[in-house]
Amino acid sequence: MKPLLDPLDYTRRRFFARSALGAGTAALAHLLGNDLRAASAGHPHPPLPGLPHFAGKAKRVIYLFQSGGPAQHDLFDPKPGLAKLDGSEMPDSVRGNQRLTGMTAAQASFPVAASRMQFRQHGQSGAWLSDVLPHTAKVVDDICFIKSLHTDAINHDPAITFLQTGFQLAGRPSLGAWLAYGLGSVNENLPAYVVMVSRGKNAGQPLYSRLWGSGWLPTRYQGIKFRAGADPVLYLSNPPGVNSEDRRHFLDALSAMNTLRHEEYGDPEIETRIAQYEMAYRMQSSVPELTDLSGESDATFEMYGPDARKPGTYAANCILARRLAERGVRSIQLFHRGWDMHNNLPKRLGEQCADTDQPTAALLKDLKQRGLLDETLIVWGGEFGRTVYCQGKMTPDNYGRDHHPRCFTVWMAGGGVKGGISHGQTDDFSYNIVENPVSVHDLHATMLHCLGVDHTKLTYKYQGRNFRLTDVHGVVQKQLLVA
Amino acid sequence: MASMRLVLWVIVAFTLASVRAEDTVDFNRDIRPILSENCYTCHGPDDNSRVSTLRFDDETSAKAALPNGRFAIVPGAPGDSAMYARVASANPATRMPPAYAGHDPLSAEQIELVRRWIAEGAAWSTHWSFTRIERPAPPDAGSRWARNAIDRFIAHRLDVEGLAPSPEASAATLLRRVSLDLTGLPPTPEDVAAFVANPSDEAYARHIERLLVSPRYGEHMATPWLDAARYADSNGYQNDKPRFMWRWRDWVINAFNENKPYDEFLVEQIAGDLLRNPTIDQLVATGFNRNHRGNAENGADPREYHVEYVVDRVETTSTVFLGLTMGCARCHDHKYDPLSQKEFYQFYAYFNQVADRGRYFKYGNTPPLVKAPTEEQMALLAGIDARLEHARGELAREERAAREDLRHGMMPDDGKWIYDRRLRFRASFDPPNGVFEGSQPTFANLGQNSAAVFDGQTYFDAGDVADFGYYDAFTLSAWIKPEAVTGGIIARVTPGNALPDTAKGYGLYLIDGRIHMRVETSSISDRMRVRTRAPIEIGRETHVAGTYDGTRTTNGFHIYVDGIEQPLEVLIDDSLNATRTSAPLRIGYGPAADDRFRGAIADARVYDRALSQDEVDVISYGWPLLSIAVDYQHDRASDASLPKLRAAWRDRYGPEPLRRAHHTVSRLELARERLLGSFPTVMVMRDLPEGRTTHRLNRGAFDAPAEAVIAGVPAALPRLPDDAPNDRLGLARWMISRDHPLTARVAVNRLWQQIFGRGIVATSEDFGAQGSPPTHPELLDWLAAEYMDSGWDTKALLKTIVTSATYRQESRIRPELREHDPENLLLARAPRVRLAAQAIRDQALAVSGLLTDKIGGPSVRPYQPDGLWKELANAETYTHDMDEDLYRRSLYTYWKRTIAPPSMLTFDAAGRETCVVRQPRTNTPLQALNLMNDPTYVEAARALAIRMLDSRASPDDRLDYGFLLATARRPTDSERRILSEALSLAHSRYSASPKEADAFLRVGEYGSSWPDKAELAAYATAASLILNLDETITKE
Repeated sequence: MKPLLDPLDYTRRRFFARSALGAGTAALAHLLGNDLRAASAGHPHPPLPGLPHFAGKAKRVIYLFQSGGPAQHDLFDPKPGLAKLDGSEMPDSVRGNQRLTGMTAAQASFPVAASRMQFRQHGQSGAWLSDVLPHTAKVVDDICFIKSLHTDAINHDPAITFLQTGFQLAGRPSLGAWLAYGLGSVNENLPAYVVMVSRGKNAGQPLYSRLWGSGWLPTRYQGIKFRAGADPVLYLSNPPGVNSEDRRHFLDALSAMNTLRHEEYGDPEIETRIAQYEMAYRMQSSVPELTDLSGESDATFEMYGPDARKPGTYAANCILARRLAERGVRSIQLFHRGWDMHNNLPKRLGEQCADTDQPTAALLKDLKQRGLLDETLIVWGGEFGRTVYCQGKMTPDNYGRDHHPRCFTVWMAGGGVKGGISHGQTDDFSYNIVENPVSVHDLHATMLHCLGVDHTKLTYKYQGRNFRLTDVHGVVQKQLLVA
Repeated sequence: MASMRLVLWVIVAFTLASVRAEDTVDFNRDIRPILSENCYTCHGPDDNSRVSTLRFDDETSAKAALPNGRFAIVPGAPGDSAMYARVASANPATRMPPAYAGHDPLSAEQIELVRRWIAEGAAWSTHWSFTRIERPAPPDAGSRWARNAIDRFIAHRLDVEGLAPSPEASAATLLRRVSLDLTGLPPTPEDVAAFVANPSDEAYARHIERLLVSPRYGEHMATPWLDAARYADSNGYQNDKPRFMWRWRDWVINAFNENKPYDEFLVEQIAGDLLRNPTIDQLVATGFNRNHRGNAENGADPREYHVEYVVDRVETTSTVFLGLTMGCARCHDHKYDPLSQKEFYQFYAYFNQVADRGRYFKYGNTPPLVKAPTEEQMALLAGIDARLEHARGELAREERAAREDLRHGMMPDDGKWIYDRRLRFRASFDPPNGVFEGSQPTFANLGQNSAAVFDGQTYFDAGDVADFGYYDAFTLSAWIKPEAVTGGIIARVTPGNALPDTAKGYGLYLIDGRIHMRVETSSISDRMRVRTRAPIEIGRETHVAGTYDGTRTTNGFHIYVDGIEQPLEVLIDDSLNATRTSAPLRIGYGPAADDRFRGAIADARVYDRALSQDEVDVISYGWPLLSIAVDYQHDRASDASLPKLRAAWRDRYGPEPLRRAHHTVSRLELARERLLGSFPTVMVMRDLPEGRTTHRLNRGAFDAPAEAVIAGVPAALPRLPDDAPNDRLGLARWMISRDHPLTARVAVNRLWQQIFGRGIVATSEDFGAQGSPPTHPELLDWLAAEYMDSGWDTKALLKTIVTSATYRQESRIRPELREHDPENLLLARAPRVRLAAQAIRDQALAVSGLLTDKIGGPSVRPYQPDGLWKELANAETYTHDMDEDLYRRSLYTYWKRTIAPPSMLTFDAAGRETCVVRQPRTNTPLQALNLMNDPTYVEAARALAIRMLDSRASPDDRLDYGFLLATARRPTDSERRILSEALSLAHSRYSASPKEADAFLRVGEYGSSWPDKAELAAYATAASLILNLDETITKE
């Protein structure tokens, strides 16, 4: 786990010894609205000056993004009173002037669909959970449920983009890119921001690479997507017929050639290039070492569940998330597809939870037993909630739910978050928030706070304006955090 | 320590970029940036956020008496100026900008600047970029060095700083630089040799000329334009399915290659559709403002996305052409620049007239469209049209010649002729039988036809015929005599809920007495439906026909009752998903049991094209041919009967030459239709004839319209020319007027950025108060004036730039420059810049000899790692192309917005989701992995190795040749030694492991035609080394 012997130590020291130039470049670039740290240093890179703004409890974040919009009625937010209203028309007073998606706007009736799931209380905190989450049920005392998150968007693309970038339209940096930009990287062999995607039986809606993109931040801050299979990072593997020793010889020659050019031209970019090739070489061993789960114990695989040995599953990605956390990667994000249940919700929700519940809970337990949970912020949630009324045909054991932006449940754990609490309340239909609303900007502000970042001060100047992840909004939800 | 260095460098940099002690303070250069950054948020242009009446964006306000009787600024008297007192205050409670709002105080240097400025008289001037462009006289500097005016401006500044320019770059370096700058490709060894042998100014000029006329120039210039115009091959947003805008992309390439003057280039893209009698090319040009993303998500609110598209057009247009961040004023008045929210919506109004829809088609292009045939297709069309004209003349002559024959000689044999051109299916019920479901119908005569009488239970199953989707044109027709108000006539739909609910497929229905035609899916928001305004008479024999032209809008539907086209009501026009169904074609059928037809149906037909009115006239006339012919011979035929008579006469019963002429015309017409159908389309700008009222939107929200506004340009800029219409065309002419302060500055700055890696204004997207001030303001204005005065001649301007002494310097970083000007703002040397993403790949293909030089056409799919699309999107696979399409220039690579080509993004290409005019160049390990391991480069290395092996005999010569191809120079002895060692190491390695050599040589589709595999693998290793050199991917 220790970084390999650094063959470039010499180069780097030599480089930084002359680096009055480097700092000057950065300062000047800052005036120009650029960020040229990329030009003056490789990975790892230091935090921006002044960051972290204060000592955050969390050193890193694992964001378990559940793409598609998990149904809060059927998972976290029981509404027993709905049973007797099942199938009856939803009162207009509840719906108010809420906009609907084009999928149900023309629907003639809006029958209440009471959840078919059984709910029980769990743990010392007595958290309510539906029976499709038996494993999460065992770790509820570490979890802070936010039942009153709300969003401005009602369709997948803008809603996911909003959750990931703080803005509904494409173009802005993702949360992870902001963190990589602000907090830098501590592992010199791995990227600062790693993304993994998975799907289970339900394919679900597509994802877009902008969700982990860097927007107008330099591209080096974008999330690096790790993939299942031979090439966890694009083009990581040498071509067939080229082994590690061949690559070493190649790099020695390349470095020698580039060094000659540097002596001739004096361009610090050449030195950076040499360093980046060496970083690439180190990644060729550090990344496979990371993604190779063969050293994990049987007990670990059992804990993460039946899919844990299958590369590319949510369960395998959860193990990888832990391994990345152990190696100090700053921002780790899983995207799991398939939560968009306009129809067949009871069956599909069961399948979806079977894919995700056990690995999620295992990740919490695993981090805890390794003493990493306190310094790792975990966030679980999707881009919006689902409607109390049924979309499409409703039968005694089948229903679907449309997108619902007004309230949904996400949860956080570890990294400075109070465990065993539930925050915010929705009305009897889980349609409107009646207590402690939390906006997406608030969630972002709170996440950044856990990492020691004042969300009002992490800015980047673009088009003449100092942009923030939280735009001009966001209130840190201190009541959710340990003092 | 680090922060001390930082401060030091801020001071140095600040000094460099702005004022020197001996200069007078310049308001625009020195003061406005301070005011903008620190004061405008509360004392700036935004009416809503201003906390007092005091404004620092407005001279009158800034110098007026304050409510307390004091003055913020007293020219000449800093001591009496409250503003100076506040910014210089040591007390955080009274200091401005306020500490309570989280602001840091101004720096000592800034405070001193403010003091000096007030002391010198507090001169105020309009923001520099808003002043008219006057041509400055080049300073009298650099007389021995300068080659043209550019150099005098550069030299003047260098003199002030006490720096000397760098010597001229070597001939080889210069030729490689100018080749990469003008074409994005390296020079050939022959060109290098010729120029090195004769590096005269004349020879250099000839090379520039050669590069500028090369079609590669247009391709290279187009690439950043595609970034700016957010061009892509997919629609973006959630589904991100293909669209087809490559004809617009090819228009851009041609425009650069033809050196279309920039003013025309601008006008045609902004308002080509409003020009008088626009050519197809001018319409295609307007695709510029249809390149924005289009949302096809099922639940998306069309009103919301309609607003987003217009906003995108405003943001893109203002960024690209005006260097203004207008988008900031969408929700509130601009915080820094003189742009009110109302003005934003006035500008928006120009782009809000387009007849597009809020929800885009998921697949393909969304109207308004234009068919945009390629030159080859135009030639084919012209050929067909010429033949058609001739054939029609022939037909008319034959018809005249045979007129008497029609009157006297036509004797239809069985009289059962029907119009069968493109008839796909017919149920004649004659003889009266067929495959019926439910009960067996009875049969009767309906007028002159045999009809099946349906009882509301039965229907006729025609099987798997007429399998049409929403891209297909077709016609459905029948004679009916309904006995109930609702029932399906002809439909190919999946069973579903009762009418009027939705079923997947198409159909012609009678619903509540009206004729409906539909093409739809089963999704509630996804369908096309029209119906006749007037009901038909129940119990009467009626001919009904519905046609659809495959354009996916309800404009493509026509319904005829007894041959008369009916006014239609559009019930819903929102086509999105594919409509094909595996259900059979059925007559008398509706999606639910209650929807089956009651009454008689005769002669049901399906044609696989949309029949014209003339053709409907033929099929809707009921009487048999024989009786028409007899009536005609007795001069009592009705006018309504004649089309049918004439059609039959031409088709079957006329004299042989007439029939032959008719069939020739028919064949050509069909060929023409098919050719037209194959034409690519482009999304274009076309305004609604009736216009659309624009409202200011509160907070920019689509559902919060405030007062109506009319189109107009911001008051801080010149007025529209007096003779300009107040529409997009007038707006375009306003942008190119000689008085416009921004357009030319922004354009030349972007060209400068393309060549030097950074604009004279570093923020090429923002010329407002918050943008960077120009490093060489007079040079910028000189270039802008020169550009306009030359007739916006882009090639001429580039020629001026690349022939300047400034451009021709070395890029070596001299020690004193590293100290004094690490960012090379002063240009005492040429920049040393890594190539753009596209150029890196194109160069590798060029030096390896793989590059194909085909220009334009549909986008292509080169190598991409397996499964990338599938991981993120459902059921989408990426299969790379073969042969020449693997090796096209990178601007032709298929660009899927949500999963853009990864190797392009790795090298900092713009993502094409929104307008981007400036991309940072980063230096990352992923780039190293990409160049070493991507099959593109592994294969290119092998092809380069074969080139090296083929060309020369000795190892050193071969290495020299490969190196020369990539860098335009020969390696030094030390370099050759390193390459040579690497080569022999690889050679012994692959000689010992032939299997490994073989595996290495199999990467990619290109062959490895060299007998000695170990030798080829060794050279491929050396070639890969050459392709990975910093020098190779850098313009020096």
